[in-house]
Amino acid sequence: MLWQTQVLHAWMGTDTITLPLPTRIGEIITQNSDTIMGHVKITIVVALGGLVMGSILGYAIAVIATVFSKWGAGGLTIVSAFNAIPLVALAPVINNWTRDLSSDVSVRSTVAKIIVVTISCTAAMSVNAFRGLTELKPFSEDLMKSYAAKKITVFMKLRLPNSIPYIFTALRVSVPASVIGALVTEYFAEETVGVGRQIRENIVKGQYPTAWAYIAVACAIGIILYAILMIAERLILKNRRAR
Amino acid sequence: MKMTKRKSLMAAAALILACAQLTACSGGTTSSSSSTSSSAPAADTSSSADSSAADTSSEASSEEGGMMTHEEIIKAAAADGKVGNWGLGNEYEIQALLTKYGLPTDYITMDFTMDQFDSDAVTLASAMTYNELGLVKNSYDGGYSYGDTVSIIDMNDEGVAMLEDNLFCSKAFAEANPNTVKAFVSASMKGWAYACEHPDEAAEIVFAAGSSVSADHQAYMAGEVAKLVTTDMNGNSVPASSVGNMDEEAMQQTLDLAKQYIILEDSAAKEALAAMTLDDIRSTAYLTYDPATDGAPEKTSVSIQLKWLPQAQFMGYYVAEAKGYYDEVGLDVNIVSGGGDISETTAVYNGTVDFGVTWVSNLINANAGGMELLEVAQVYQRSGLVLVYKKRNSRNIVQNSF
Repeated sequence: MLWQTQVLHAWMGTDTITLPLPTRIGEIITQNSDTIMGHVKITIVVALGGLVMGSILGYAIAVIATVFSKWGAGGLTIVSAFNAIPLVALAPVINNWTRDLSSDVSVRSTVAKIIVVTISCTAAMSVNAFRGLTELKPFSEDLMKSYAAKKITVFMKLRLPNSIPYIFTALRVSVPASVIGALVTEYFAEETVGVGRQIRENIVKGQYPTAWAYIAVACAIGIILYAILMIAERLILKNRRAR
Repeated sequence: MKMTKRKSLMAAAALILACAQLTACSGGTTSSSSSTSSSAPAADTSSSADSSAADTSSEASSEEGGMMTHEEIIKAAAADGKVGNWGLGNEYEIQALLTKYGLPTDYITMDFTMDQFDSDAVTLASAMTYNELGLVKNSYDGGYSYGDTVSIIDMNDEGVAMLEDNLFCSKAFAEANPNTVKAFVSASMKGWAYACEHPDEAAEIVFAAGSSVSADHQAYMAGEVAKLVTTDMNGNSVPASSVGNMDEEAMQQTLDLAKQYIILEDSAAKEALAAMTLDDIRSTAYLTYDPATDGAPEKTSVSIQLKWLPQAQFMGYYVAEAKGYYDEVGLDVNIVSGGGDISETTAVYNGTVDFGVTWVSNLINANAGGMELLEVAQVYQRSGLVLVYKKRNSRNIVQNSF
């Protein structure tokens, strides 16, 4: 309301070009729905691709850390350090690295983007999954041992189920991170596509209403993916409790 | 059992990936640090330059026979998807050229180095005559040492040139401070005229003012920029006294190409662009200043936003400052350098700075979006954008295709 009636503009000392009215943004989105959906698909492929890869990689690292428990926790610290590399620094480096991968620019550009998102999603999963795999209920591990259960049985029957809620904790962090990662890495990609890249192009070219339309779409992607995650979490964890 | 096997496979894959990432990080740092603007190129550039020199000598005898025409070179690079540009409003001339030859307007995004050209990821790379082309050819600090083994396709020759660096302010500012604008334009153009006559001295002035590139490259740049300021699109020379004049034909060509290639998603901006005339974007009323009849500047402290880092591309303003031309007309000028994603049109529009340097196409774009900006002088009289290619690649492609 404040935005549409320009009260917000007066407060922030801005105008309707740099901060266009919501109705104008909505207009642009509906008029260009086909073009925008094309960019959205590209961004979602990168975000989800990186999220899946990063989560699998993160979980695998957590499993390794659990198996080799002596240096597991220390190893995880190194993995977490990867997470501290700013995406802005990482994206051009990965771009250089994937340059010889394929002669098709859209293939190598997509791979480069997915790798960046993968790295940004790995640490959250590995740290959380490690906790899920190791922080077991008191005495449960001892109980399994008293049954002379093999390590693998302990893993399958105890550690794995115990880690599932922790996976969702990790995903709550990495789903938004994957969307942000995808948007940022598009800034540096070789191909001029994706929602993030469109935000940058339009801002530099002074096309603020269009840039805001893409910003709105980017927010929607993040919110929708998070909502899907919440629903999935509720369904899956509910079933577990019922059992 | 099956499950654990899969898990351990994943673990192995994870380890491999992790190692690959580590090498990528350590290997990548050198290339990312060798930017166009400053530091030295990676060690491998010299070796590739050597090999290209060897190729040229061995193939020199077949020079006349195997060369492709520009059209063939453009078509071959486009077919391979290896035409490069920076985007962000710098792509329109390239898109016009591709369209001229009936090709799709896709291009690879180049970073602000020529590493992609060096590694053949881009075979037809965008370059400004005064900046990237010098780095590709020359062997001074930051250069890639290709020398005469590279050749160019000039936008002016291809008839798709658009005017670039201009001087602009907002329409409101020009209306409120006409004398300030006139004084600033005349002093700046005096600086430009002097710089074009004495490019070496201008280069030194810019270098002393805080350069983003080496002194050698600055000197090269000053010489090339002087050519763009004193030669028009048809190759005729422009007298130093008329620096800053707006050539109607060149302006119209720029606007026509802009209308064709600026793709807007905002319907209101689209309509504004279609209806735009030269009178909406430029005024020749501020080119001359006579303090006696016009009066003193209304605003004496002004700032100008450059389009890029401090370099000889903007030497006229640095010379006007150093030579005291701004003091002569009673102006105190603050030169604000740009770089990266700085949007000079937005900076002028929202009043952060009073004047700006931008490409005419970017000003057209901004005005279509509703910013009321006004060009008050046109410094560059021809396009400085070229597409650079390695001669040996153009020969190789011929051999492959026969």
